[in-house]
Amino acid sequence: MSQLTGNREDTSRSGVAAAYLAGIGHVVALELKQRLRSRGWYIMLAIWFLLTGLVTWLTWASWNASQAAQRAFGMPPESSGPGSMIFEVVLAFVLLFALLVAPALSANAVNGDRAGGTLAILQVTLLEPGQILWGKFFAAWLAALGFLVASTPFLVIGVALGGLTPGHVLVSLLMLAVEVGVVCALGVGISALAGRPLFSIVVTYLAVAGLVFGTLISFGLGTGLTQGTVMANNAQYREYAPLQSGPFEPTYTCSGPLREQPALHTERVAWTLGMNPFVVVADAIPYRDRTNQQGFPSVGAIEGISQAGLACPPDACPPPCPGYPHRLSIQALDRPAAWDHDGT
Amino acid sequence: MAMMSETSEGPDGPAPDGGITARAVSRSFGAVHAVEHMDFHAPAGKVTALIGPNGAGKTTLLLMLASLLAPDEGSISVGGLDPSRNRAEVRSRLGWMPDTLGVWESLTAREILTQMARFYRLPAAGIGQRVAEMLQRVRLADLADQPARVLSRGQQQRLSLARALIHDPSVLLLDEPASGLDPGSRVELRIMLRQLAAEGKAVVVSSHVLSELDEIADGAVFVNKGRTVRQQTTEEAAAGGRRYAITASDTSALAATLTELGLVFRAEDGRRPGVSLTLASEGDAERLLRDLVLAGVGITSFAPAAGALEETYMNLEGERQ
Repeated sequence: MSQLTGNREDTSRSGVAAAYLAGIGHVVALELKQRLRSRGWYIMLAIWFLLTGLVTWLTWASWNASQAAQRAFGMPPESSGPGSMIFEVVLAFVLLFALLVAPALSANAVNGDRAGGTLAILQVTLLEPGQILWGKFFAAWLAALGFLVASTPFLVIGVALGGLTPGHVLVSLLMLAVEVGVVCALGVGISALAGRPLFSIVVTYLAVAGLVFGTLISFGLGTGLTQGTVMANNAQYREYAPLQSGPFEPTYTCSGPLREQPALHTERVAWTLGMNPFVVVADAIPYRDRTNQQGFPSVGAIEGISQAGLACPPDACPPPCPGYPHRLSIQALDRPAAWDHDGT
Repeated sequence: MAMMSETSEGPDGPAPDGGITARAVSRSFGAVHAVEHMDFHAPAGKVTALIGPNGAGKTTLLLMLASLLAPDEGSISVGGLDPSRNRAEVRSRLGWMPDTLGVWESLTAREILTQMARFYRLPAAGIGQRVAEMLQRVRLADLADQPARVLSRGQQQRLSLARALIHDPSVLLLDEPASGLDPGSRVELRIMLRQLAAEGKAVVVSSHVLSELDEIADGAVFVNKGRTVRQQTTEEAAAGGRRYAITASDTSALAATLTELGLVFRAEDGRRPGVSLTLASEGDAERLLRDLVLAGVGITSFAPAAGALEETYMNLEGERQ
């Protein structure tokens, strides 16, 4: 045992950072063993897999049905194939469910252990509060990532059916992982601050609702406050295409003197959308530049979200659209600074 | 088990008296003063009982001693080290068994102890052997690979004790270790705590089951309403005089003999009729018993009415009211 004591001293001296990380690793191992051995987790994972599969199949089936209907009316079928749509629907669905699952996996991490009497057991060891907190965060994140892994096959199907590249899957999975991580961090942080698990879970769900719906509502309501003017001349459209050949082509020419025209400066409130997880994921996905395509491109739902915040005054010439700041960083600011909580 | 005590004698070990001391510590939670200027000392190699009614501040004091709660005022020293300055050092010398079981239910006993060993940064090579040793010691070797949730309360309690001992601490803090244990397990716990003290550890046991502590404690610290009310050794407690209960086959003959001897006694109307009286020392008890037997009284029982600590505790209760 004297040898044991001597080695303990050596370990504490050599490589403080490595010891710190090892401590985090041990907490993660403990947490994951605790989580992954419950049967409920696997049942949830199976349900998740089936649901995502169902959504994928329904999207594909409904696209096929609409194609058949279009053919029946003698219209030419869409050229892009269902890939983009399946991909986007599945992506949105996975993100929605990930946002619903992540708080449940993370928001009782600290106070749940406190209630169960196991937190103090960790605190009394040589672990530092930061190690426990990071360990719990990574464990919650890894558990939530399991759900993303289960939905990967369906995102791949979206790509396989055409229209998109593996890069899309990679980027979107990465962004989903980051979003889930943000929510897990929120959950673990709130669970460290709140006394009771039920309370922290509800607060985390409300925070997620705030990010998803609150940002939309504040953008919508905030738009009314952005009345202003822009200097613009008149746009003149070349021609109005007949309705039966689809939406008109937005080509116009600018002519006449620049005058002040009323406009909504949505770019002043568009940053609120930058906190929206759907917008963050949509923004990150590299869509091809479609401006050169013939006709109005079939903009997907996610792509549409990505561009919604870039609203410009409708008739401004030239359109004064701002570039976008890094939205994720705005969202990150939204996290509570709970990392220094000492847990006592 | 000689190897167990070597930590306190190592080159970096604590001062010769490795015990744990609290001086005038206070801690309040909002308006509630849980602990006010409490003094506490538990020497190495002894079992010290921390005794007090519910809400006396025992758990708060133990949490402060375990370095989980910082005192608002006062100082704590573990083997001469201040927990607020040498946290890691102090924690590697402290073993704490909380009053809640707090078991990771999906993990096996072996895994729990292995994780704890890692959290205490024991060298990886020795962990397996150390864990097996501890499992053997608390008689859980047969159940080592069962999930902790299938263990009975007593087994979980033993696992909790093994968890507190995994890093071979020199100070052991036990909060209500005997609660919920069956009589057999209590005896076992008692033997084990005596062993640990014999190995040179300072063992602190908080409890309000006083008859337990009588058997194992070398000394006791009585606390009430957040203050230390008395600090004494078990010998001192015994020296204060104890009440003895005597029953005889013929109670009237017993009463007559006691009156003859000039002793003040009280008739007890318990399940069996008898008398009780206060005797100053064990020598007095010895002489009285001899006198009674020589006088031809058929004594059926002659024993202390209550444990020494219980005696003190009840007296304190009396003073309080």
